[in-house]
Amino acid sequence: MSNWYKTQDQNSSVAVSSRIRLARNLKGLPFPARMTTAQRIELNQRVKEAILGSNTPFAKTLKYIDMHDVPETQKFAMVERHIISPEFANKTEPTAIILSSDESISIMIGEEDHIRIQVILAGLNLAKAYDIAEQIDTLLHDSLHFAFDSKLGFLTECPTNLGTGLRASVMLHLPALEWGGEIETLGTSISKIGFTVRGMYGEGSKSMASLYQVSNQITLGLGEKNALDNLLIITNQLIEKEIESRNSLNKLELEDQCFRALGILQNARILSSSEMMNLISCVKLGKSMGILDIKASPIEILVEAQPFMLCGKYGVLEPRERDIYRANMVRETLK
Amino acid sequence: MYCEKCGKNHATTHIKTVVNGVAKEYNLCSVCAAEHGYATNSLTGMLASMFGDFSKNESLIPKVQCSVCGSTFRDIAKTGKVGCAECYKTFYDELLPYLKRVHGSVTHVGKVPNSAPLAIVEEKTTVEQLRNELSRLVSEENYEQAAVIRDKIKEMEAASNE
Repeated sequence: MSNWYKTQDQNSSVAVSSRIRLARNLKGLPFPARMTTAQRIELNQRVKEAILGSNTPFAKTLKYIDMHDVPETQKFAMVERHIISPEFANKTEPTAIILSSDESISIMIGEEDHIRIQVILAGLNLAKAYDIAEQIDTLLHDSLHFAFDSKLGFLTECPTNLGTGLRASVMLHLPALEWGGEIETLGTSISKIGFTVRGMYGEGSKSMASLYQVSNQITLGLGEKNALDNLLIITNQLIEKEIESRNSLNKLELEDQCFRALGILQNARILSSSEMMNLISCVKLGKSMGILDIKASPIEILVEAQPFMLCGKYGVLEPRERDIYRANMVRETLK
Repeated sequence: MYCEKCGKNHATTHIKTVVNGVAKEYNLCSVCAAEHGYATNSLTGMLASMFGDFSKNESLIPKVQCSVCGSTFRDIAKTGKVGCAECYKTFYDELLPYLKRVHGSVTHVGKVPNSAPLAIVEEKTTVEQLRNELSRLVSEENYEQAAVIRDKIKEMEAASNE
């Protein structure tokens, strides 16, 4: 396995990534919002020992990282790679993360819940991602004993996660539906059946580069399998609709858009984040539809050209400098 | 993208305003968004408002405190967040109608950790199976049979809530 954004292939033309998140809390400790610093440190240690001391082969691929040791730019670069949530990056309390070498597994300790197990894979890969998350859950429960109630399921700080604690989401590239103005209608009908559509960085975030996250809302009274099956059905319908819309676009106009976008990216000297996102979305569409013959992965460029990813690579940069570095990086990659 | 206001933090909140017909858009970090009166977590605000009945009638709020973390029901209703696992026992009756509103159900179906009694696992599977059966019957428009199954589910849920 490798980072989701580095392993994009022809199957990722609409479904960019699949993410599973399980929310878990330990018995006997208050939920994070009410924890003392000492309790937080204790929590970090207990989770660290539970997983790294477990002697399972897969524990060897995992690394414990104290978030206090991570510089701010690196934290936000992690947000941009979808390893941690923006809320977690902003936390000043002692928090920690357990991360696999390919970054597909990240276990946030001390986020909204004691433990957030996250698995993120490229393409439409919900079942596999859930299997991995479930194994980690079982392993951790053996030594940590999660707060569980036979009526209410896994107990979580926010009642919206109560029950399975499962949030499954798929990130979709939906440019044709967006251009056709169909996203809002789809969003409304999807929300009526217990799912949400959000922008690229989750809660409250705006969609950029026509990337949308579709995820389940209901966690109580609906088993994991059903929740995943339902999400898969919705996702497949959205993919189908997107492809239909793509095929009905005016071919000449589409080609014009795609080649123009590529032309700017290959030649720009100054490139803002939002301009890059808009253009790279067109390039991704053009590549998926066989219009543009390029080797580079648009999604990989999109992630690597994010502000904090650039700062991580080239050192802390002023916004203007960053736009120049971004243009250089994108130009080199698309040469 | 950086916050347009402070230029320091990552912009996580996108705000659109229309004042006197003039539309404006802002990208702010959570701190600046909160300063301008926009809830950083829109869900939390929505959740807290779902406890609306209580905020209108103070006398309805129970005075009890959670014996483990000290939370009152007012704390939970205000933030939309529960203090600790024990709170779910302490404020079970108060939380129930709200859980029903959020999830449409108040009974867990799905994974049960290995330390829980096996009987529960079996019972849960049955309710879930019945639910599947119910949606199949509804989709086939076999409403008579569906009503029987629906009553069965209700019975089983009532039994497990006792």
